Amino acid sequence: MSATRSTRRAEFLAGCRDEAPLQLGVVPFGMLYGIGALAAGMPAWLAQLASAVVFAGAAQLVIVQMLTAAAGALPIGLTASLLNLRHVLYSASVADYVRHLPRRWRLLLAYLLTDEAYAVAILRYQTTSAAATKDDTTSDARDLRHWYFLGCGFTLWATWQLSTAAGLLFGATIPAEWDIDFAVPLTFIALLTLLLRERAGQAAALVAALGALAFATLPYKLGLVAAILLGLLAGVWAARFARDGK
Amino acid sequence: MSTAALIGLLVAVGLVTFLYRYAMIGLFASRNLPGWLHALCRHIAPASFAALTASALFVHGGEVAIDLAAPKPWAALVAALVAWRTRSVLATIGTGMAALYLLKFLL
Repeated sequence: MSATRSTRRAEFLAGCRDEAPLQLGVVPFGMLYGIGALAAGMPAWLAQLASAVVFAGAAQLVIVQMLTAAAGALPIGLTASLLNLRHVLYSASVADYVRHLPRRWRLLLAYLLTDEAYAVAILRYQTTSAAATKDDTTSDARDLRHWYFLGCGFTLWATWQLSTAAGLLFGATIPAEWDIDFAVPLTFIALLTLLLRERAGQAAALVAALGALAFATLPYKLGLVAAILLGLLAGVWAARFARDGK
Repeated sequence: MSTAALIGLLVAVGLVTFLYRYAMIGLFASRNLPGWLHALCRHIAPASFAALTASALFVHGGEVAIDLAAPKPWAALVAALVAWRTRSVLATIGTGMAALYLLKFLL
Protein backbone atom coordinates (compact mmCIF):
# COMPACT_ATOMS: atom_id res chain seq x y z
CA MET A 1 0.00 0.00 0.00
CA SER A 2 2.74 2.45 0.91
CA ALA A 3 4.57 1.40 -2.24
CA THR A 4 1.49 2.36 -4.26
CA ARG A 5 1.22 5.67 -2.45
CA SER A 6 4.82 6.60 -3.16
CA THR A 7 4.33 5.57 -6.81
CA ARG A 8 1.31 7.87 -6.99
CA ARG A 9 3.33 10.73 -5.60
CA ALA A 10 6.18 9.95 -7.99
CA GLU A 11 3.74 9.99 -10.95
CA PHE A 12 2.16 13.25 -9.80
CA LEU A 13 5.56 14.92 -9.33
CA ALA A 14 6.79 13.61 -12.69
CA GLY A 15 3.75 15.26 -14.30
CA CYS A 16 4.52 18.55 -12.51
CA ARG A 17 8.17 18.35 -13.58
CA ASP A 18 7.44 17.60 -17.26
CA GLU A 19 4.79 20.35 -17.40
CA ALA A 20 7.11 22.93 -15.81
CA PRO A 21 9.07 24.06 -18.92
CA LEU A 22 5.82 24.99 -20.68
CA GLN A 23 5.04 27.50 -17.94
CA LEU A 24 7.53 29.92 -19.46
CA GLY A 25 5.12 30.31 -22.35
CA VAL A 26 2.01 30.37 -20.15
CA VAL A 27 3.02 33.15 -17.72
CA PRO A 28 3.08 36.01 -20.29
CA PHE A 29 -0.37 35.00 -21.57
CA GLY A 30 -1.81 34.89 -18.07
CA MET A 31 -0.34 38.28 -17.26
CA LEU A 32 -1.48 39.73 -20.57
CA TYR A 33 -4.99 38.43 -19.91
CA GLY A 34 -5.03 40.05 -16.46
CA ILE A 35 -3.74 43.37 -17.80
CA GLY A 36 -6.14 43.29 -20.77
CA ALA A 37 -9.13 42.37 -18.61
CA LEU A 38 -8.61 45.46 -16.44
CA ALA A 39 -8.13 47.64 -19.54
CA ALA A 40 -11.40 46.22 -20.94
CA GLY A 41 -13.19 47.30 -17.77
CA MET A 42 -13.60 43.91 -16.06
CA PRO A 43 -13.59 44.01 -12.25
CA ALA A 44 -10.39 42.36 -10.98
CA TRP A 45 -12.21 39.75 -8.89
CA LEU A 46 -14.28 38.69 -11.88
CA ALA A 47 -11.25 38.50 -14.16
CA GLN A 48 -9.57 36.22 -11.60
CA LEU A 49 -12.71 34.11 -11.23
CA ALA A 50 -12.91 33.74 -15.02
CA SER A 51 -9.45 32.16 -15.01
CA ALA A 52 -10.84 29.44 -12.75
CA VAL A 53 -14.28 29.08 -14.38
CA VAL A 54 -13.31 29.30 -18.06
CA PHE A 55 -9.66 28.20 -17.68
CA ALA A 56 -8.82 28.58 -21.38
CA GLY A 57 -6.22 31.18 -22.36
CA ALA A 58 -7.11 31.88 -25.97
CA ALA A 59 -10.84 32.11 -25.22
CA GLN A 60 -10.22 34.47 -22.30
CA LEU A 61 -8.11 36.77 -24.49
CA VAL A 62 -10.84 36.70 -27.15
CA ILE A 63 -13.45 37.62 -24.52
CA VAL A 64 -11.27 40.53 -23.38
CA GLN A 65 -10.77 41.77 -26.94
CA MET A 66 -14.49 41.56 -27.72
CA LEU A 67 -15.36 43.40 -24.49
CA THR A 68 -12.90 46.12 -25.56
CA ALA A 69 -14.76 46.31 -28.89
CA ALA A 70 -18.07 46.66 -26.96
CA ALA A 71 -19.50 43.40 -28.33
CA GLY A 72 -22.72 41.91 -26.96
CA ALA A 73 -22.87 38.85 -24.70
CA LEU A 74 -24.25 36.57 -27.43
CA PRO A 75 -21.48 37.15 -30.01
CA ILE A 76 -18.84 36.83 -27.29
CA GLY A 77 -20.36 33.60 -25.99
CA LEU A 78 -20.64 32.14 -29.50
CA THR A 79 -17.07 33.04 -30.46
CA ALA A 80 -15.55 31.73 -27.23
CA SER A 81 -17.59 28.52 -27.46
CA LEU A 82 -16.47 28.00 -31.04
CA LEU A 83 -12.84 28.63 -30.15
CA ASN A 84 -12.99 26.06 -27.33
CA LEU A 85 -14.59 23.38 -29.51
CA ARG A 86 -11.16 21.76 -30.02
CA HIS A 87 -11.33 20.47 -26.45
CA VAL A 88 -13.82 17.84 -27.67
CA LEU A 89 -10.97 16.44 -29.77
CA TYR A 90 -8.66 16.32 -26.75
CA SER A 91 -11.42 14.69 -24.73
CA ALA A 92 -11.84 11.98 -27.37
CA SER A 93 -8.08 11.52 -27.55
CA VAL A 94 -7.63 10.77 -23.83
CA ALA A 95 -10.94 8.92 -23.40
CA ASP A 96 -9.52 5.42 -23.78
CA TYR A 97 -6.90 6.10 -21.13
CA VAL A 98 -9.19 7.49 -18.43
CA ARG A 99 -12.54 5.78 -18.94
CA HIS A 100 -11.80 3.12 -16.30
CA LEU A 101 -11.40 5.83 -13.63
CA PRO A 102 -14.13 6.71 -11.10
CA ARG A 103 -16.36 9.59 -12.11
CA ARG A 104 -14.79 12.09 -9.65
CA TRP A 105 -11.44 11.52 -11.35
CA ARG A 106 -12.92 11.96 -14.82
CA LEU A 107 -14.66 15.18 -13.74
CA LEU A 108 -11.41 16.52 -12.29
CA LEU A 109 -9.25 15.57 -15.26
CA ALA A 110 -11.85 16.98 -17.70
CA TYR A 111 -11.72 20.31 -15.87
CA LEU A 112 -7.91 20.32 -16.15
CA LEU A 113 -7.87 19.31 -19.85
CA THR A 114 -6.20 22.35 -21.46
CA ASP A 115 -3.97 22.58 -24.55
CA GLU A 116 -0.72 22.46 -22.58
CA ALA A 117 -1.74 19.78 -20.08
CA TYR A 118 -3.11 17.63 -22.90
CA ALA A 119 0.10 17.97 -24.91
CA VAL A 120 2.28 16.65 -22.08
CA ALA A 121 -0.10 14.04 -20.65
CA ILE A 122 -0.99 12.42 -23.98
CA LEU A 123 2.72 11.97 -24.68
CA ARG A 124 3.07 10.04 -21.42
CA TYR A 125 0.09 7.84 -22.26
CA GLN A 126 1.32 7.13 -25.77
CA THR A 127 4.99 6.50 -24.96
CA THR A 128 4.88 4.59 -21.66
CA SER A 129 4.07 0.91 -21.60
CA ALA A 130 0.43 0.01 -21.23
CA ALA A 131 1.44 -3.38 -19.87
CA ALA A 132 -0.23 -2.58 -16.59
CA THR A 133 -3.55 -2.21 -18.35
CA LYS A 134 -3.42 -5.61 -20.06
CA ASP A 135 -5.01 -7.49 -17.20
CA ASP A 136 -8.51 -6.12 -16.81
CA THR A 137 -8.96 -7.24 -13.22
CA THR A 138 -5.93 -5.39 -11.86
CA SER A 139 -5.59 -2.54 -14.35
CA ASP A 140 -7.25 0.05 -12.10
CA ALA A 141 -4.79 -0.58 -9.33
CA ARG A 142 -1.68 -0.63 -11.45
CA ASP A 143 -2.11 2.05 -14.10
CA LEU A 144 -1.29 5.21 -12.17
CA ARG A 145 -0.70 7.48 -15.12
CA HIS A 146 -3.76 9.56 -14.20
CA TRP A 147 -1.65 10.90 -11.32
CA TYR A 148 0.83 12.11 -13.92
CA PHE A 149 -2.05 13.73 -15.84
CA LEU A 150 -3.19 15.37 -12.60
CA GLY A 151 0.35 16.71 -12.02
CA CYS A 152 0.36 18.28 -15.52
CA GLY A 153 -3.11 19.77 -15.08
CA PHE A 154 -2.47 21.05 -11.56
CA THR A 155 0.81 22.73 -12.55
CA LEU A 156 -0.82 24.55 -15.43
CA TRP A 157 -3.84 25.52 -13.32
CA ALA A 158 -1.66 27.01 -10.58
CA THR A 159 0.47 28.94 -13.09
CA TRP A 160 -2.62 30.28 -14.83
CA GLN A 161 -4.21 31.53 -11.60
CA LEU A 162 -0.98 33.09 -10.31
CA SER A 163 -0.04 34.75 -13.61
CA THR A 164 -3.59 36.14 -13.91
CA ALA A 165 -3.23 37.61 -10.42
CA ALA A 166 0.20 39.05 -11.33
CA GLY A 167 -1.29 40.64 -14.47
CA LEU A 168 -4.15 42.14 -12.45
CA LEU A 169 -1.73 43.62 -9.90
CA PHE A 170 0.61 44.93 -12.58
CA GLY A 171 -2.20 46.12 -14.85
CA ALA A 172 -3.66 48.29 -12.11
CA THR A 173 -0.50 50.42 -12.20
CA ILE A 174 -0.53 51.01 -16.00
CA PRO A 175 -2.09 54.32 -17.14
CA ALA A 176 -4.86 54.04 -19.77
CA GLU A 177 -2.99 56.27 -22.26
CA TRP A 178 -0.33 53.60 -22.67
CA ASP A 179 -2.74 51.67 -24.94
CA ILE A 180 -1.78 48.43 -23.22
CA ASP A 181 -4.96 46.77 -24.59
CA PHE A 182 -3.27 46.87 -28.01
CA ALA A 183 -1.08 43.99 -26.78
CA VAL A 184 -4.05 41.62 -27.23
CA PRO A 185 -4.41 42.04 -31.04
CA LEU A 186 -0.59 41.94 -31.24
CA THR A 187 -0.76 38.54 -29.55
CA PHE A 188 -3.31 37.38 -32.10
CA ILE A 189 -0.96 38.51 -34.89
CA ALA A 190 1.90 36.50 -33.35
CA LEU A 191 -0.27 33.40 -32.95
CA LEU A 192 -1.59 33.78 -36.51
CA THR A 193 1.90 33.61 -38.01
CA LEU A 194 2.52 30.44 -36.01
CA LEU A 195 -0.78 28.88 -37.09
CA LEU A 196 -0.79 29.81 -40.77
CA ARG A 197 1.40 27.11 -42.23
CA GLU A 198 -1.05 25.69 -44.76
CA ARG A 199 -3.05 27.24 -47.57
CA ALA A 200 -6.42 26.28 -46.15
CA GLY A 201 -5.71 28.03 -42.86
CA GLN A 202 -4.52 31.11 -44.72
CA ALA A 203 -7.75 31.13 -46.74
CA ALA A 204 -9.78 30.82 -43.52
CA ALA A 205 -7.92 33.74 -41.91
CA LEU A 206 -8.11 35.98 -44.98
CA VAL A 207 -11.83 35.44 -45.52
CA ALA A 208 -12.54 35.91 -41.79
CA ALA A 209 -10.55 39.19 -41.73
CA LEU A 210 -12.36 40.54 -44.81
CA GLY A 211 -15.66 39.34 -43.38
CA ALA A 212 -15.01 41.24 -40.14
CA LEU A 213 -14.85 44.44 -42.21
CA ALA A 214 -17.75 43.52 -44.52
CA PHE A 215 -20.09 42.74 -41.61
CA ALA A 216 -18.80 45.51 -39.32
CA THR A 217 -22.14 47.28 -39.21
CA LEU A 218 -24.10 44.33 -37.78
CA PRO A 219 -25.26 45.06 -34.21
CA TYR A 220 -23.56 43.69 -31.05
CA LYS A 221 -20.52 42.71 -33.19
CA LEU A 222 -22.45 39.73 -34.52
CA GLY A 223 -20.52 40.40 -37.72
CA LEU A 224 -17.48 38.85 -36.05
CA VAL A 225 -19.33 35.56 -35.61
CA ALA A 226 -20.52 35.67 -39.22
CA ALA A 227 -16.97 36.46 -40.40
CA ILE A 228 -15.47 33.55 -38.43
CA LEU A 229 -18.09 31.11 -39.74
CA LEU A 230 -17.46 32.31 -43.30
CA GLY A 231 -13.72 31.88 -42.73
CA LEU A 232 -14.30 28.31 -41.53
CA LEU A 233 -16.26 27.52 -44.68
CA ALA A 234 -13.46 28.99 -46.78
CA GLY A 235 -10.87 26.92 -44.91
CA VAL A 236 -12.77 23.65 -45.29
CA TRP A 237 -13.47 24.43 -48.95
CA ALA A 238 -9.82 25.34 -49.63
CA ALA A 239 -8.63 22.12 -47.97
CA ARG A 240 -11.00 20.07 -50.14
CA PHE A 241 -9.96 21.99 -53.25
CA ALA A 242 -6.25 21.39 -52.49
CA ARG A 243 -6.87 17.68 -51.92
CA ASP A 244 -8.86 17.21 -55.12
CA GLY A 245 -6.33 19.22 -57.10
CA LYS A 246 -3.49 16.84 -56.28
CA MET B 1 -22.06 45.20 -20.41
CA SER B 2 -23.33 45.05 -16.81
CA THR B 3 -21.39 43.03 -14.26
CA ALA B 4 -24.35 40.65 -13.87
CA ALA B 5 -24.44 40.01 -17.63
CA LEU B 6 -20.69 39.49 -17.66
CA ILE B 7 -20.93 36.94 -14.83
CA GLY B 8 -23.66 35.11 -16.75
CA LEU B 9 -21.55 35.12 -19.91
CA LEU B 10 -18.43 33.81 -18.15
CA VAL B 11 -20.33 31.06 -16.32
CA ALA B 12 -22.00 30.02 -19.59
CA VAL B 13 -18.68 29.89 -21.47
CA GLY B 14 -17.10 28.01 -18.56
CA LEU B 15 -19.93 25.47 -18.53
CA VAL B 16 -19.79 24.93 -22.30
CA THR B 17 -16.01 24.55 -22.14
CA PHE B 18 -16.26 22.02 -19.32
CA LEU B 19 -18.89 20.04 -21.24
CA TYR B 20 -16.54 19.93 -24.26
CA ARG B 21 -13.76 18.61 -22.06
CA TYR B 22 -15.98 16.07 -20.33
CA ALA B 23 -17.90 15.08 -23.47
CA MET B 24 -15.89 12.09 -24.65
CA ILE B 25 -14.51 11.18 -21.21
CA GLY B 26 -17.81 11.00 -19.39
CA LEU B 27 -20.84 11.74 -21.55
CA PHE B 28 -20.61 9.86 -24.85
CA ALA B 29 -19.41 6.32 -25.43
CA SER B 30 -18.39 6.75 -29.06
CA ARG B 31 -14.75 7.74 -29.56
CA ASN B 32 -14.94 8.21 -33.31
CA LEU B 33 -15.51 11.86 -34.05
CA PRO B 34 -16.52 12.81 -37.60
CA GLY B 35 -13.77 13.99 -39.94
CA TRP B 36 -15.41 17.35 -40.53
CA LEU B 37 -15.05 18.20 -36.83
CA HIS B 38 -11.27 17.72 -37.06
CA ALA B 39 -11.17 19.79 -40.26
CA LEU B 40 -13.27 22.54 -38.68
CA CYS B 41 -11.19 22.73 -35.49
CA ARG B 42 -8.00 23.29 -37.50
CA HIS B 43 -9.38 26.57 -38.83
CA ILE B 44 -11.29 27.99 -35.86
CA ALA B 45 -8.30 29.65 -34.16
CA PRO B 46 -6.83 31.31 -37.30
CA ALA B 47 -10.26 32.53 -38.42
CA SER B 48 -11.10 33.93 -34.97
CA PHE B 49 -7.76 35.68 -34.46
CA ALA B 50 -7.81 37.14 -37.98
CA ALA B 51 -11.36 38.47 -37.65
CA LEU B 52 -10.64 40.04 -34.24
CA THR B 53 -7.37 41.60 -35.41
CA ALA B 54 -8.95 43.09 -38.55
CA SER B 55 -11.78 44.42 -36.44
CA ALA B 56 -9.43 45.90 -33.81
CA LEU B 57 -7.43 47.71 -36.51
CA PHE B 58 -10.08 48.89 -38.94
CA VAL B 59 -13.48 48.98 -37.22
CA HIS B 60 -14.40 51.82 -34.87
CA GLY B 61 -17.87 52.16 -33.43
CA GLY B 62 -19.45 49.80 -35.95
CA GLU B 63 -17.95 51.63 -38.93
CA VAL B 64 -15.07 50.53 -41.14
CA ALA B 65 -12.39 53.22 -40.97
CA ILE B 66 -9.17 52.56 -42.90
CA ASP B 67 -7.07 55.50 -41.80
CA LEU B 68 -3.52 55.51 -43.16
CA ALA B 69 -2.51 58.24 -40.70
CA ALA B 70 -3.53 56.10 -37.70
CA PRO B 71 -0.58 54.55 -35.82
CA LYS B 72 -2.13 51.18 -34.88
CA PRO B 73 -2.31 49.56 -38.37
CA TRP B 74 1.33 50.48 -39.03
CA ALA B 75 2.44 49.22 -35.61
CA ALA B 76 0.54 46.01 -36.37
CA LEU B 77 2.38 45.72 -39.69
CA VAL B 78 5.74 46.06 -37.93
CA ALA B 79 4.62 43.45 -35.40
CA ALA B 80 3.52 41.09 -38.19
CA LEU B 81 6.95 41.35 -39.85
CA VAL B 82 8.67 40.65 -36.53
CA ALA B 83 6.31 37.72 -35.86
CA TRP B 84 7.06 36.29 -39.29
CA ARG B 85 10.83 36.60 -38.87
CA THR B 86 11.22 35.62 -35.20
CA ARG B 87 8.15 33.41 -34.55
CA SER B 88 8.32 34.81 -31.01
CA VAL B 89 5.17 36.03 -29.28
CA LEU B 90 7.06 38.19 -26.78
CA ALA B 91 9.23 39.85 -29.47
CA THR B 92 6.06 40.54 -31.49
CA ILE B 93 4.27 42.21 -28.58
CA GLY B 94 7.41 44.14 -27.57
CA THR B 95 8.18 45.59 -30.99
CA GLY B 96 4.49 46.18 -31.75
CA MET B 97 4.04 48.27 -28.61
CA ALA B 98 7.36 50.07 -29.18
CA ALA B 99 6.32 50.86 -32.77
CA LEU B 100 2.97 52.16 -31.52
CA TYR B 101 4.60 54.53 -29.01
CA LEU B 102 7.12 55.74 -31.62
CA LEU B 103 4.42 56.34 -34.25
CA LYS B 104 2.15 58.15 -31.78
CA PHE B 105 5.10 60.37 -30.95
CA LEU B 106 5.93 61.04 -34.62
CA LEU B 107 2.47 61.28 -36.22
